[in-house]
Amino acid sequence: MKLGWQVTTILAGGLGVLAATAAEGERKEFTATQKRWWAIQPVTAQTPPSTSVSRIDAFVHAKLQAKGISPNAPADKVTLLRRATLDLTGLLPTPEEAQAFLGDQSPNAFEKVIDRLLASPRYGERWGRHWLDLARYADSEGFKADETRPNVWRYRDYVIKSFNDDKPYDRFVQEQLAGDEMFPNDSEALVATGFNRHFPDEYNARNLYQRRQELLNDITDVVGSTFMGLTFGCARCHDHKFDPILHKDYYRLQSFFSGLHIDDSAVLVPDQARRDYQAQLKIWEQATTEVRQEIATLLKPQREFRVKDNLDKFPEEIQASVSQVAAKRTPMQWQMYYKAMPQLTFDDREVAKGLKGETKAAYLKLEAKLRTFDHLKPADLPVAQTMVEDAAAVAKTHVLRGGAYDAVEAEVQPGFLSILDPSDVQIPAAIPGKSGRRTVLAKWLTNPENPLTARVMVNRVWHYHFGRGLVGTPSDFGLMGERPSHRELLDDLTYRFVRGGWSIKQLHREIMLSGTYQQSSDHTEAAAKADPDNKLLWRYNRRRLEGESIRDSMLAASGLLNTKMTGPGVFPPLPAGVETRGGWKSNESLEEARRRSIYIFVRRNTRYPMFEAFDMPDTHESCSRRNQTVTPSQALELMNSELVLDWSKGLAGRVLNDAGLSRDAMVDRAYRLVYSRAATEEEKRMAGEFFTRHQPILAARPGPLTVPDRLPEGIKPIEAAVLVDLCHALFNSNEFLYIN
Amino acid sequence: MIERLKHHWPVRSRREFFTSAGSGLAGLALSSMMAEAAPRKGDLLAAHAPHHVAKAKSIIFLFMEGGPSHIDLFDPKPKLKELHGQPMPASYGKLITAMGTANNSIMASQREFKQHGQSGLWVSDWYPHIAKHADELAVLRSCWANGLNHVGSVCQMNTGDILAGRPSLGAWTTYGLGTANRNLPSFVVMQDDKEPLGGTKNWSAGFLPATYQGTQFRTGDTPILNLKPAGGSTSDQQLSKLSYLKQLNARFGEGKTEDSDLDARVRSFELAYEMQAAGPEAVDLTKESEATKKLYGMDDPATLNYGRNCLQARRLVERGVRFVELYCGSGSGWDAHQNIEANHAKWCRASDKPIAGLLTDLKARGLLDETLIVWGGEFGRTPFNEKGDGRDHNPWGFTMFFAGAGIKPGQAVGTTDEIGLRAVERPAHVHDIHATMLHLLGMDHIQLTYMHNGRAERPTIVGGSVIKELLA
Repeated sequence: MKLGWQVTTILAGGLGVLAATAAEGERKEFTATQKRWWAIQPVTAQTPPSTSVSRIDAFVHAKLQAKGISPNAPADKVTLLRRATLDLTGLLPTPEEAQAFLGDQSPNAFEKVIDRLLASPRYGERWGRHWLDLARYADSEGFKADETRPNVWRYRDYVIKSFNDDKPYDRFVQEQLAGDEMFPNDSEALVATGFNRHFPDEYNARNLYQRRQELLNDITDVVGSTFMGLTFGCARCHDHKFDPILHKDYYRLQSFFSGLHIDDSAVLVPDQARRDYQAQLKIWEQATTEVRQEIATLLKPQREFRVKDNLDKFPEEIQASVSQVAAKRTPMQWQMYYKAMPQLTFDDREVAKGLKGETKAAYLKLEAKLRTFDHLKPADLPVAQTMVEDAAAVAKTHVLRGGAYDAVEAEVQPGFLSILDPSDVQIPAAIPGKSGRRTVLAKWLTNPENPLTARVMVNRVWHYHFGRGLVGTPSDFGLMGERPSHRELLDDLTYRFVRGGWSIKQLHREIMLSGTYQQSSDHTEAAAKADPDNKLLWRYNRRRLEGESIRDSMLAASGLLNTKMTGPGVFPPLPAGVETRGGWKSNESLEEARRRSIYIFVRRNTRYPMFEAFDMPDTHESCSRRNQTVTPSQALELMNSELVLDWSKGLAGRVLNDAGLSRDAMVDRAYRLVYSRAATEEEKRMAGEFFTRHQPILAARPGPLTVPDRLPEGIKPIEAAVLVDLCHALFNSNEFLYIN
Repeated sequence: MIERLKHHWPVRSRREFFTSAGSGLAGLALSSMMAEAAPRKGDLLAAHAPHHVAKAKSIIFLFMEGGPSHIDLFDPKPKLKELHGQPMPASYGKLITAMGTANNSIMASQREFKQHGQSGLWVSDWYPHIAKHADELAVLRSCWANGLNHVGSVCQMNTGDILAGRPSLGAWTTYGLGTANRNLPSFVVMQDDKEPLGGTKNWSAGFLPATYQGTQFRTGDTPILNLKPAGGSTSDQQLSKLSYLKQLNARFGEGKTEDSDLDARVRSFELAYEMQAAGPEAVDLTKESEATKKLYGMDDPATLNYGRNCLQARRLVERGVRFVELYCGSGSGWDAHQNIEANHAKWCRASDKPIAGLLTDLKARGLLDETLIVWGGEFGRTPFNEKGDGRDHNPWGFTMFFAGAGIKPGQAVGTTDEIGLRAVERPAHVHDIHATMLHLLGMDHIQLTYMHNGRAERPTIVGGSVIKELLA
């Protein structure tokens, strides 16, 4: 197979102009500037400018020195521990962890902290969330009905587990793009293909040609931006105006996916379990043959009516795709068939809704009879919602004029960026039923010589650690994106990332052990003047916690967090007045409602209100960089919502339990739980003043006081109520809300 | 061609420009018309100068959700009587419709159309009160859109795209102009029935910062979520707590004065505190006279809901809210696939008097000159029947009307074909409608951009031109 980057090397070496030749003989030449585009140059081994400090620091310091800027001194230990813990797990360190770290004078004390955090299952719950942003993950369809995708949570769990297992990134990419093809017997890889299934979808669309094209566009855009850091979407209607991405390159990439279809009942158990299931099912089927036959006969007219009613609403070509015999279906007819069938398939109960009177009564009777055989029925097999290929359904891909689904131009074959490799790719034979297309794409992306894949991921990891990537636009390495602030450093990290086995945890360690990561966030006038945006990294970037971390940290500090992992999304009660279509059945169990944020059901049309206020992305497209806004609605959420007050109550209860009756001890304990440090004498005095001022105000107010659920003996309710408000203020404060 | 390429101009958004440039330049962003405190770095809601002199300070968008039938309201088609019961002539071509009804027979309107006012505008007997305002309306009969189904079409009418994820027009408005009243949201959405299809996607900030998203006002005395403190907290209690919070933040802020984000957060609590009073006051109708309430139809259960929303909208624009969107028949009420007579009679009744009352009231208070009223749905309805007495979705040709600030009143603009199926003369795409609305607010839809994923995104995506015929 011809490798694209060899071509690049030639191009970059300036050995003449290589033209990409399209099928119709059109010639497209790339300019010298385009060929020099930094992101497509090979990643090369680097020599750090100094060996007296870590490799990262050597690169960073060299740039700072050139500007006459000194890096900041190391942050104090408390700040460092909070930073690392929030960064890797999205949770506050416990007072005990803080004490242990402060007491550990060994030179590798911080290294031990990092290793502890990386080994914690909480790590995957934090870093998995970053990946879900990129994957536009949601538990529902979007559009009008926004129906639940009942098994899509397995993908979320897959992502968490992959991060916790430190799955090599190349394998992670391969599983998500081509799991069904490359690892056919690996159920985890099958779940992984859900990556391409997270598009918003409208199940009852009529113009399925248009709908299919919209899905393919979504997949093309998200694959391009997530794995390659390129804005492929800009080439949907015409050649990219800034980057060397041709109009046809968009469709060359798209054609890798043209045989995909939804499979929402991909069974996840080994063959033996499947056979056992089948055997048991057969027993049930034999026992129920008669009653099921009766039901089928009874429902037949109504079922036929429902099917015909929906079928008639489709354009004729789609109706023909459905009625065509399987052997004769063209690939595009198969595509239409896969899209149409969910609208033409009804289970008995759905059909029975249309029955009336005696027929209905007869049906209910038969249904009851059928249920008496339930003890013979095997339990449902675990299934995943996947996006897999059917080789028979690999429809032709065409360049589309202006991106319009019906403005068909030249046919294209799968291919990479023309500037890297203008030829059509050769597709080797694949396993039966698969075309092998995505295997080629996944292998190309994860080839150690690919200039984009690893660079993009290393930069993402840097971005999440520092609040800003070495390339400030993590999903746009193009000319409209930002240039790398430290290109040699990015290459150095990338080069060793790939050769070291694509280990993300190893990358975390190296970054976090650098002085650059450990320096304080203090402001220095001179440095700020020379580099106001801190692109050169003379300080650590202070930044606000994300909504999920705010919630999880409040729950953890108040001792209420339920750390149960995995399983279907949970539904904490919504505030009164928030409506949702598609339903939000609040958890009756408070325990379930207090699980980590990543397990909260993601309803596309109704983001969980607290996360929405704090800039959770909207899940309709891939998000590489969250907004960091400051809004009055955030303040309203923090100071007025039931939830935050409830957690403040929890915190106060824990403080009373741990600290006893002395005000100073209470304040100190609250500080340790929320700020990870002791309260100073001045702060205890300040809190004392608050107690004095606040108590008569509470005494004068009507209605019951807000106090912790269980009051220790000897504590006056009013004292406890003041403590609740004090805890509430701590949860609202900047020292809690910011990673310093 | 030039028109289609404009979204590629690597123009930096005004917002990026003013926040990254020094404070000296930031001062220039101040509009004299909406002057208040100088904008600060990172202050996303600071008032901005418009691109050109604005005709409208506010927009009230009366969104008839579900698709009102233009051929039964504002676009009379005598030809339908002639063709009634016959299949649509072959000359109109093949159509894909939402419900596969294109082969059904033509259905004439049962409504009686009359010309009204000096202008002689045609309005059917379903809208008798609005008809009295005929001379204030500019009726655009040649609208068209791209979506077949509700959710995509409602989304497009709000955001320009049938696929969710882009900012809505109200969000663009706040992004472009900032807010004129910090104690209230700048973009307010109200519904009269169920949740609109697609829900929050329709007033989403999309890829813009979440600050710009619309706020859904609920009925009752706390229109905004979390406006009332939990646990029955009194005002004294809250102030005492906030004052302690301020002390905590002051300590943390020592030596960090350069960080405007920390400062903005401190101020956000003060703003939130102010909103607690301003929000309920804005929607408190006890201060309105009985006569005013009656004008809006609040004395009649059939018109109470929409009437109350219309009256609240007036109060909101009086207080500087820039974009108010009032869904009528929210949750797709106007979607008359069958028995259009009963369906439309109900929703026309529900909206007729309230809208007429709003026009009367705004005019009497001198607010109509600075408020743009927009009426319409996500699409119109087909000339052929569905289920014998209903009509299917028609995005190819439908009607909207405009009134108030900057509008040339008493005219009909554009036409559909003889049966009201497709826009023919002066077709006006949703992007054109959006460009026109932004234009009246003082913004150029091409210059209003935000860098997102490598593109200078704009409200009209790659299309749109101002409908000059509508302008005074």
